Amino acid sequence: MSRYEKLLHMLMDYDSAIMFTAIGDTSGNILWNTIRDDSKVQVPLPEIKKTLVHESVDWITRCKIEDSDDLGRAMYHIASFEKLKQITVPLDAFHLLMVYVDNSPLNKTKTKSYGRYVEMGKIMSIVDFVNTFEE
Amino acid sequence: MEKYKQLLNMVMDFNESVRFAAVSDSHGQLLWNSQRNGVSNIVPIEKTKSTMSRSRSEWDNYASASEHVGNGLYSITSYSKIKRITIPLSDGKMLFISVNNKPMKNAKNTSYGHLVEMGEILSIVEFVESQNF
Repeated sequence: MSRYEKLLHMLMDYDSAIMFTAIGDTSGNILWNTIRDDSKVQVPLPEIKKTLVHESVDWITRCKIEDSDDLGRAMYHIASFEKLKQITVPLDAFHLLMVYVDNSPLNKTKTKSYGRYVEMGKIMSIVDFVNTFEE
Repeated sequence: MEKYKQLLNMVMDFNESVRFAAVSDSHGQLLWNSQRNGVSNIVPIEKTKSTMSRSRSEWDNYASASEHVGNGLYSITSYSKIKRITIPLSDGKMLFISVNNKPMKNAKNTSYGHLVEMGEILSIVEFVESQNF
């Protein structure tokens, strides 16, 4: 098992709200992915592939901006929708992590919900931990 | 117009870590902006304008998937020094916010940046959009 496959399994084990994880290349091709069997939101695979292509292009632009401006290291991007949060993290020059997290309000929410809190610090620490592994 | 000036003022007042806030039209062109006094630009305004235009295009791409993922609420792009937030507004306009993301002085472990209270920001947006100006 490659370290990136381990990363996907660790993320799925970390939080049951994570519905889908994938590693893509710079062209948006899915190299590895995991899907939670009982997830409520079902995004068709062709739609996920199309999104990954867009995100790969967007990350190439963001990393160019990082180089040209003094913004510091590009860490992650979250796009939050009513049903899910889409998180992308550049892993290295050739690989992109994409994670779908369930964003539907919890049953006990009384006031208006803007979606669930995602602990990006935890996700980033898992990514950093796995990146220390030798292949 | 008053509505969006009010929105920018409220966002700037909400939290001192907000460095810059702006509203663009449906093509991503900057209409109004507000910058915190004493905060210097990390990025020249012309580059910020092109980032806003690109962000608006990203939301147009996301719209094609709304059947599966629902309507867009917000996006955050996190760099180690700043976070960039975009929020689609009800009439095709877009709110763009730049927030300081430098680690707090008392951070002992690796820092992945400041927490942004998106619920608070979205409730400000919703409040302002519900007002008649």
